[in-house]
Amino acid sequence: MSQEQKLLVVKDLNTTFQTPAGPLPAVGGVSFDLNKNETLGIVGESGSGKTVLSRTIMGLQPRTNVTVSGSVLLNGFEVVGASEEEKRKIWGLQVAMVFQDPMTSLNPVTRVGKQIDEILRVRMGMDRQSAKARAIELLELVGIPSPSQRYRVFPGELSGGMRQRVVIATALAGSPQLLMADEPTTGLDVTIQAQILNLLEEIKERLKMSVVLVTHDLGVVATRTSRIIVMYAGRIVEIGSTREVFAHHRMPYTRALLDGSPKVSNPSHTRLMAIPGRPPNLQDLPPGCSFAPRCSYATDRCHQERPELEPSGAPGHFFACWNPLPTTRGVPA
Amino acid sequence: MSSSPLVREMIEDATVRDTPPRKRRLGILFWACVGWLILNLLAAILANVLPMKNPFFQDYAVVNASPSLHHLFGTDDLGRDIFSRVVFGSRVSIEVGLGAMFIGFGFGGPLGMLAAYRRGKFDTFLTTFMYIFLAFPAIIATIAVLSFWTPRSLLKIIVVVGIASVPIIYRVIRTATMNIATKDYVIAAKVQGATDRRILVKELLPNVAPIGVSFLLIGVATVITLEGSLAFLGLSVNPPTPSWGNMINESRAILQTNPWLAIFPSVAMCLFLLCLNFIGDRLRSHFDVTEVKL
Repeated sequence: MSQEQKLLVVKDLNTTFQTPAGPLPAVGGVSFDLNKNETLGIVGESGSGKTVLSRTIMGLQPRTNVTVSGSVLLNGFEVVGASEEEKRKIWGLQVAMVFQDPMTSLNPVTRVGKQIDEILRVRMGMDRQSAKARAIELLELVGIPSPSQRYRVFPGELSGGMRQRVVIATALAGSPQLLMADEPTTGLDVTIQAQILNLLEEIKERLKMSVVLVTHDLGVVATRTSRIIVMYAGRIVEIGSTREVFAHHRMPYTRALLDGSPKVSNPSHTRLMAIPGRPPNLQDLPPGCSFAPRCSYATDRCHQERPELEPSGAPGHFFACWNPLPTTRGVPA
Repeated sequence: MSSSPLVREMIEDATVRDTPPRKRRLGILFWACVGWLILNLLAAILANVLPMKNPFFQDYAVVNASPSLHHLFGTDDLGRDIFSRVVFGSRVSIEVGLGAMFIGFGFGGPLGMLAAYRRGKFDTFLTTFMYIFLAFPAIIATIAVLSFWTPRSLLKIIVVVGIASVPIIYRVIRTATMNIATKDYVIAAKVQGATDRRILVKELLPNVAPIGVSFLLIGVATVITLEGSLAFLGLSVNPPTPSWGNMINESRAILQTNPWLAIFPSVAMCLFLLCLNFIGDRLRSHFDVTEVKL
């Protein structure tokens, strides 16, 4: 594995919040890497640590009450332990972020064009005129009709889908190599979701970026990612190529997630399988597998010993389970 | 196949809203209040130039006169024209109001924003300090300081009242900033590599400003009342300089024979404060919804 191919290398990353009720390990022992021009999906339930993971990778933590250990190597830059000043050099230019709710991720009192301009002038050293021209170009790139007129509007005058396009345009302004999209479509309605996801895909191809797509919706990652990380209780429980994870998943939690999402192939009125119980309290994790209390395959060993990631046989496919599902190789998903 | 109006509407909605949302109106009462304030301010500024009677001239021929064409508001017990004293008196009130808020916002505003943005030990220390400050009743503290800090002058009153207002303004601005500092667009600006100063000036300030402005107006009104109370206790500017509070204080002794001396400065003060409070409140509710203007 040559290091040049890797845009992002995460090794044994831990993020722990110090709360009055004791330490809260939101992310534990996460390791993975991301190739250039690759789209990686991170899926999990609410509270599985995927948002904290994506923010830790960016180096975005509260100033206090949090400890981060491990390593995040972004294009050779060590994010963990870097000062705000050092991180400011990569923020916007190497890595950018698209937020969940386009209603709150644009400044309501600044014209949308100015919000894109800002980074072009301040970070890229463009003058007023070329920054404006570039901003309009970016608005066009993200599919906003009559961009030179939209340059002057306030976010409140745009619909949700349009705002998310503007957010993407601001993220692209610094031509980053890595785009972190934290549930970029959760705040939008379904018809617009597909548009935004297709836009991200198209832009990624055109600008040769890498994208990390954080979501709880397996449908979102199914066709648009090359690899998937499944997270549970702050840990990776399964990682592999998208095809592999969908077709030959070994971890019962992945299965449960898949059973919980609707499929076109299901006959109508099929009941979706819900996962029994609730995600565990991170402050009071069981000693064994975190999923054991909700898992129908759990044995005594699951409750006592935590499984580590082990290879499934297929290249790059790992899972953490003592009682993995039998290989479903050959069975279509 | 022609698309139905509903479908067309949906398509339009999915792209861009072509007409900006209708501007919400502030109402005629709001503008009437603004007009009254401007009139008061102009009168205060131009008092020397306007064709008015000398507020210090004691005309013993007409003491305690009722309102007439010659003396619009009548005269006081020393034969001074009440109208011109009310106009000149507004200067003290307005100066104290604006001056004290200048000091209050000058310190309380930036400190509140900084504390809310930085958080941590800086915030804890400063906020605790301000809350201790706040635990003293402001009026008692002001009275105590002004009683001993003699000779009294307008500047001293402004300084004391201004300092007393710092913790209150600090608290309001800090809360408003904290509310905004956790918004996604502030984090978005940060991950675009904006410096702290840039975030404070470009992201936080424009969003805190409307709340600040409306609180400023209400603050000016509060301070003017405070000056009135101080004057009533004889702790404001020294006679014969008129101030609304001073005049009401002087009227106490002759209230039964000449109520005009109490009525006119009270009405002037009341109207002024009413306008300030109304405008402040109206602006606050007007700006409160910048984000959900859907």
